[in-house]
Amino acid sequence: MFDTVTSARALMGMSLAFHISFTAVGIGLPLMLFLAEGIALRTGNPMYREMAKRWTRVAAVLFAVGAVSGTILSFEFGLLWPTFMDFSGAIIGFPFALEGFAFFTEAIFLGIYIYGWDRLSPRAHWLCTVPMMVSAAASALFVISANAWMNQPAGFEVVNGKAVNVDPIAAMFNRAMPYEVTHGTLAAYVTTGFAVAGVYAVAMLRGHRSEYNKRALVLALAVAAVFTPLQIVSGDLSARFLAHRQPEKFAAMEGQFRTERGAPLRIGGFPDPGARETKYAIEIPRLTSILAFENADATVRGLDSFPQDAIPDVRLVHYPFQVMVASGSFMLFVVTWFFGIAWWRKRIDPGRWLLRALVAAAPLGFVAIEAGWFVTEFGRQPWIIWHLMRTDQAATPREGVAFLLLVFFLVYVALTIGLGLLLLRPSGSAARPPQEAPDVA
Amino acid sequence: MSLEVLAAGVVLIGLIAYAMFAGADFGGGVWTALAWGPRARVQREAIFRAMGPVWETNHVWLILIVVTLFTAFPRAFGDLFTALFIPLSIALIGIVFRGAAFAFRHYGSEGGARLPATGIVFSAASILTPLTMGMALGAIAGGQITIRGGQVATELYEPWLRPFSIVCGLIGVAMCGFLTASYMTTRTGGALREDFRNRALAASLVLGGLTTAAIPVAYADARPFFDRLGSPAPIAVMSAAVAMGVASLVVLWRRWYALAPPVAAGTVALVIAAWGAVQYPYFILPDERIDSVAAGHATLVAFLVSLPIGALILIPSLVLLYYTFSERTDRPAPEGPPS
Ligand code: HDD
Ligand code: HEM
Ligand code: HEM
Repeated sequence: MFDTVTSARALMGMSLAFHISFTAVGIGLPLMLFLAEGIALRTGNPMYREMAKRWTRVAAVLFAVGAVSGTILSFEFGLLWPTFMDFSGAIIGFPFALEGFAFFTEAIFLGIYIYGWDRLSPRAHWLCTVPMMVSAAASALFVISANAWMNQPAGFEVVNGKAVNVDPIAAMFNRAMPYEVTHGTLAAYVTTGFAVAGVYAVAMLRGHRSEYNKRALVLALAVAAVFTPLQIVSGDLSARFLAHRQPEKFAAMEGQFRTERGAPLRIGGFPDPGARETKYAIEIPRLTSILAFENADATVRGLDSFPQDAIPDVRLVHYPFQVMVASGSFMLFVVTWFFGIAWWRKRIDPGRWLLRALVAAAPLGFVAIEAGWFVTEFGRQPWIIWHLMRTDQAATPREGVAFLLLVFFLVYVALTIGLGLLLLRPSGSAARPPQEAPDVA
Repeated sequence: MSLEVLAAGVVLIGLIAYAMFAGADFGGGVWTALAWGPRARVQREAIFRAMGPVWETNHVWLILIVVTLFTAFPRAFGDLFTALFIPLSIALIGIVFRGAAFAFRHYGSEGGARLPATGIVFSAASILTPLTMGMALGAIAGGQITIRGGQVATELYEPWLRPFSIVCGLIGVAMCGFLTASYMTTRTGGALREDFRNRALAASLVLGGLTTAAIPVAYADARPFFDRLGSPAPIAVMSAAVAMGVASLVVLWRRWYALAPPVAAGTVALVIAAWGAVQYPYFILPDERIDSVAAGHATLVAFLVSLPIGALILIPSLVLLYYTFSERTDRPAPEGPPS
């Protein structure tokens, strides 16, 4: 049933999927706190201070869960993938060590920030958000650079199955790193912006159209408006990079079975590995060739052109890719709608349909993040280190991983229930908007 | 000193710091479980309030240890997690539940929602984690993990479910309790302070008893460890640990409270340093030496260079953190975190 490798992969994927939901907010909220408290300082408007205070409590809980779930991950490297770590620890350990410092800094200043509201001067308190912001983004940068290395290994040579001549700096600055790091870090701001906006959209739909709710909504959406277009541009760059450097992943994303000149862009559709085609997709002629190679006649390699035991499962890559792109497009649409109408009418007064759309967009950042990571991780299979070490060679020799999988499944269920009880408990008075994002659990 | 040994020193310092700081948080769970008498509730609350701002930072020392292990000693990292699969999994589950229970309880009670059973989970996990970590360290030092042809040769339960490891696990729990009670004497006053003083005294006696008992147990069950005890370095560090332990008894007995935290921390640091001195120059006794499992030169250089640079940011930040939150916890807080 669940052999060691399958269990280890499921456990790793589950743990990462859990962790990333919290850290996305852990990266995004410090920016929002910086803005809200900064505006409060500049304008003296106490509403923004109140906003920052309420967000702080959420940040504290989510950060705690992010920290414990991250600890699970660092142990899992050893528990599940000792062979992989034996090979790559010396190569990619360095960014993780730097990440350790970033966590430290973030944890320290978050502690000061949460508990220091009345012990520090308002200015000093506000300034605490700066190291939080920087270190959270830095931890994302470091850890994603390690993941990029798994996709584009660099900075070492292999002699007799051992890595020699290791250059940790070159490993960190591998080819995939700039693309993955940019796209993966921006995602956190997009996601946080929409998640926070969704909370206030819910409150406004319920009739609480207070000045406070409006201002909070605008602040959150301003963040979203800045980062969503950047996110989509960087996603396009990532895809183009893959077309050149990881063509099997690209082919799987696009559901491209056969090598083709002037390949169409397939929207939706059901890839069928048996029939070797993607059925019922909306095909836009030549667009994939244009997007990937800036040439309508360019040849796009299909999955057929690779050794068949070294290609990913196309379904696990194509569907998540579609989900990510659809989510991104919808988010861009909604935020454009919001500011477009506000600009047109010269005031902020979103109608019911717009608010509903904002609520619908609220969880989509998380959805896109999970989907995007599925593209990256499933698209790398069957390799744990691309073209170098296969995932099934890397797992622990220990039995009982299936049991561990079960245990941690229950752990995550318990954590999710606990968080749900904590964050979603009915808020005391109607004047007080529910401030928490329900979708982060 | 070679780069390998320096990196191993970082692991040891990480362990000591983790024990000194996070150990006190685990001890908080121990005393939450053991709170008794008329002031049980006040004791629990004082502990909770002291931990709030610092526990997450304290926790990061563990991350530093793990990261140092896999960066500088990737072979040993893989082998340790393979050999100690079960105790490390249990320790991990303990860490997760402890952190979550603390956070949920803490922020929950501020918002007026008390989640059921978080107190019990918090205490149970706080005991389980130092116990299993102590057992793991005992297995490493006891020479119980054998490696043949690059593969871990011991069975799942063999290296750690045995008398010497169990004594080490108990030492871990006792250390945590000792640290918390000692630290709390400076953060409380009056009858509450007396409570913590008595607990610190009791814990230090237990700790002394357990560390003494560990020696005959090692003779019977962990010969490689016992055989190395007689060399000069372990003897020197162990004598210092004993002296420090006695000093902490005196300090507590005479109620020289200002001295209690540093002396308690020093005792714990020296006990762990003694463990390191016995191990040296082995990483995993008796098959893996520090230099045979270390990463290559370039990695060690990059890693070791990053440490002082990181420390330049960290140390002032840590000082700021502990300074901001160092006052007594038995008075009403000026203002807690916002709710
Ligand atoms: C808010 C979240 C979000 C949104 C709106 C998008 N993405 Fe994304 N995407 C991610 C969040 C994300 C991610 C979770 O952050 C990933 C996983 C790995 C990474 O670096 O970023 C990712 C990965 C990822 C990859 C794989 C990178 C690799 O394997 O190296 C590609 C090709 C794209 N994205 C492309 C896009 C395109 C063309 C988008 C246009 C709409 C898009 N993404 C929107
Ligand atoms: C946080 C977002 C991430 C998510 C949601 C994610 C998701 C996944 C999933 C679903 C798998 C299982 C793949 C399979 O079985 O086919 C996996 C495997 C793995 N991931 Fe990621 N991943 C993330 C980030 C990372 C990062 C940053 C790293 C490393 C630095 C990483 C390292 C690994 C490793 C070592 C495996 C196991 C080997 C493998 O299956 O290839 N992941 N991840
Ligand atoms: C793309 C993937 C990842 C991102 C963006 C990310 C980001 C973060 C961030 C921002 C934090 C700070 C806590 C918070 O804000 O909630 C954090 C915590 C943590 N992460 Fe991740 N992480 C990722 C994957 C991983 C992986 C693969 C590991 C495994 C080694 C890991 C290990 C940790 C640890 C140990 C912590 C806790 C640090 C503490 O105690 O404060 N993370 N992560």
